[in-house]
Amino acid sequence: MKRHGFVNWIKHILSTIDTSHREQAAGLTEFEARELENIFVLLLMGSFTGIPAPPSFIAAELLPHLQHEIKVLKFRAENASDSLAEMAGLLGID
Amino acid sequence: MTTIVLVVGLVIYVALYMVYGKKLERDVVKASDSNKTPAERMYDGVDYVAAKRPVLFGHHFASIAGAAPIIGPVLAMAWGWVPALLWVWFGNIFIGAVHDYLALMASVRYDGKSIQFVAADLITNRTGKLFYWLVLFLLILVIGAFGAVLGGMFVGSPAVPSAYILKLVAALILGVLLYRTKMNFGLATGIGVIMLALAIWGGTRIPITASYGTWMVVMFFYIIIASAIPVNVLLQPRDYLNSWLLYFGLIIGGLAAIFSFTGFSAPAFTSFAPIVSGGKATPFWPAIPLIIACGSLSGFHALVGSGTTSKQLEKESHGLAIGYGAMLTEGFLSTLVVVAVAGFGLALMTDKGMTISVAGWAKEYTPAMMGSYPKAAMFTSSYAAMVASTWLNFIPTEIVKVIAGMWVASFAMTTLDTTNRLGRYTVSELMLPVKEKNEKVYNFVTNRWIASLIPAAIGIYLAWSGNFTILWPSFGSANQLIASIVLLTAASWVVKRQKAKPAIVLVPAYLLWITVTASIIWFTVVILPDTIVANPVTGITVLVIEVIMLVMNFVFMADFLKSRKKTLAPDA
Repeated sequence: MKRHGFVNWIKHILSTIDTSHREQAAGLTEFEARELENIFVLLLMGSFTGIPAPPSFIAAELLPHLQHEIKVLKFRAENASDSLAEMAGLLGID
Repeated sequence: MTTIVLVVGLVIYVALYMVYGKKLERDVVKASDSNKTPAERMYDGVDYVAAKRPVLFGHHFASIAGAAPIIGPVLAMAWGWVPALLWVWFGNIFIGAVHDYLALMASVRYDGKSIQFVAADLITNRTGKLFYWLVLFLLILVIGAFGAVLGGMFVGSPAVPSAYILKLVAALILGVLLYRTKMNFGLATGIGVIMLALAIWGGTRIPITASYGTWMVVMFFYIIIASAIPVNVLLQPRDYLNSWLLYFGLIIGGLAAIFSFTGFSAPAFTSFAPIVSGGKATPFWPAIPLIIACGSLSGFHALVGSGTTSKQLEKESHGLAIGYGAMLTEGFLSTLVVVAVAGFGLALMTDKGMTISVAGWAKEYTPAMMGSYPKAAMFTSSYAAMVASTWLNFIPTEIVKVIAGMWVASFAMTTLDTTNRLGRYTVSELMLPVKEKNEKVYNFVTNRWIASLIPAAIGIYLAWSGNFTILWPSFGSANQLIASIVLLTAASWVVKRQKAKPAIVLVPAYLLWITVTASIIWFTVVILPDTIVANPVTGITVLVIEVIMLVMNFVFMADFLKSRKKTLAPDA
C-alpha cells in the first residue's frame, strides 16, 4: 500500500514537471499567436488606427464574436507601454 | 562535509521559509485568499490565466535559474567556502527571496503591472523610465560576461560546443515533430530527450576545436540569427530540452552531494581581500554582490515575477512558495556549486598540474582559473568528480562533464540570444523621445537589425577582450543595482500601500543600496584605471556605463527619500 502511494507520488511529481515544461514552452508560441490575434482585431476594428474598416454589415455581423478580443484588447492597450517585464518573464536572461 | 553542508543548507532553507517567509506573508504582504488575484479578477484566457502552484513554480524557476548562480559561487571560492556560502545563504534568505516575493506580490496588487510601473507610481515617473537604461546596460554586460564564459568553456572543453550544436539540431527536429507532423507530445518529448542524450554522447565523440576569437564571431552571428527567427522553430524546443537538462542536472547533483560524504579540500576562509577582480585584492565587503549575483539576489527576477508570474498566480497564498521558494531553490543550486568545488576543486587543479595550495589559495585561485583552467570547467569537473564519488559512478565521468558543461552552456547561450530580443525592445523604448525630433534617426536605430546589432556588437566586443574578471563584476553591478531599486520600490509599497512595519524590507534595502554603491565606487576607482591602460576601449566602455549607473543610483535614492514624504491617493 505504501509502495503504491510512493509510486503515485513520483508519478504526480513527474506529471507536474511535464505540465510545467509544456506550459513554459507553450508561453512563447502564445506570445507570437497573440500578435496574430492583434492583427485580426486590427483588420476588423482598424478604423481606430486609420486602417480602412471592412464593410459595415460584415463588421456588425462579426462584432459579437469579438467580445472576448475587445476585453483582451482593453487590457493590452493598458499594458502596451509596460511589456519589458513580460518579455523578460517569457525569455529569461539570468 | 559535503553531505553535512548540503543537509544543513536544506534545513536552514526549510526552517527560514517556515519562519521568516511566513512572517513576511502574514505581517508585510498580508496575503489572503479572499483577495482575488489578477488571474481571477481580470481573467481573459490569454494573459491573465491562473496556473496551478507547482506548475507556476516550475515556470518561474525555469525563468530565473541560469548560468549566473553557477559561475558566481565558483569565483567567490577565492574567499574560501565559508564566506561564499554565507553570502549565498544570508543574501538569499534575507534579501534575494524577500526581493522576489515582494516584487511579485506588489505586482499582484497592481493588477499584474510590472515593477517599473509600481516604481513610477510610488516613487517617481523618472524611476520607472530610468529602469530601461539600467536594463540596457545589464543586457550589454550580460552578453559580455556570458560570451566570455562560453568562449573560455568552448576552448577548454571542445566536446561542449559540438554537443551544443548537436542539441540545436535536435531542437530543430523536435520543432518539426511538434509543429509540422503534429506528433503526440509525449512521444515527441521522449524522442527529444533521447536526441539530447545522443547529442551529449556525440559531443564527446566529435569535439570541435577552435580559437576564442572564432567562437566570438560564431556567437555574434548566432545571437543575431537566433533572435530573428520565429521562436517556435528553435528557441522554444531548445528551451524545452534545456529545462529537462536543468532538472536532470539538479537531481543528479543533489543526490551526488548528499551521498558523496567527502571532506572539503578548499580552505574555509582565505583572506578578507584575495585576488579576484582585475588581478587585484578584492575586499569581501563591498565587492561580494558583484561576484555572487543571481545565486544570492538578482534584480532581473523582479522583472520575471512582475511580468508573467503575477498574471498567473491562482491564489495569494501561493505567492510565498513561488516568489520566495523559487529563489531559495536557486540558492540551493549555488550551495551545490560551492559544495562541489570545495570538495573536489583542489584535487582537480592539482591533477592539472597547477600551482595552487590551501595556504596560497587567496592569491593563486583566481589567476589559476583565468589561466589554462576555465572558470566554468572548475564547476563541470568538480560536479563530475562529485558524481563519480558516489553510487552514481555508473554514469561515465566524461558524459557527466559534458552534461554539466551543457547545463552551463545552454543557459548562457539562451541568455545571449534572448538578451538580444529584449535589447531590441529596450532600444526602441529608449529612442521614443528622439522620434519627434528626428524621425529618420529613430527609424534607423530602431530598425529590427540595427537595434539587434547594438547590444550584440558592444557585448561581444567586450567579451572579445577576454577581460572576464572585469566583465563579470560589471554585469553584477548592473544586476544588483536593479535589485537595489526594486527593494526600495518594495519598501515604498510596504509603507504606503500595505501600511506595514517596513523594517523587514527597509533594512535590507538600505544595506543593499549602501553595499552596491560602495562596490561600484570601489570598482570604478580601484579596478578600472588599470584596465583602461591595458585595454582602453573595454576599460572606457565599462567606465562610462559604471559612472552613468552610479549617477542614476544617487538619483534613485534621492527620489526615494523625497517620495517617502508624499502621501498617495487611496487606491493603487
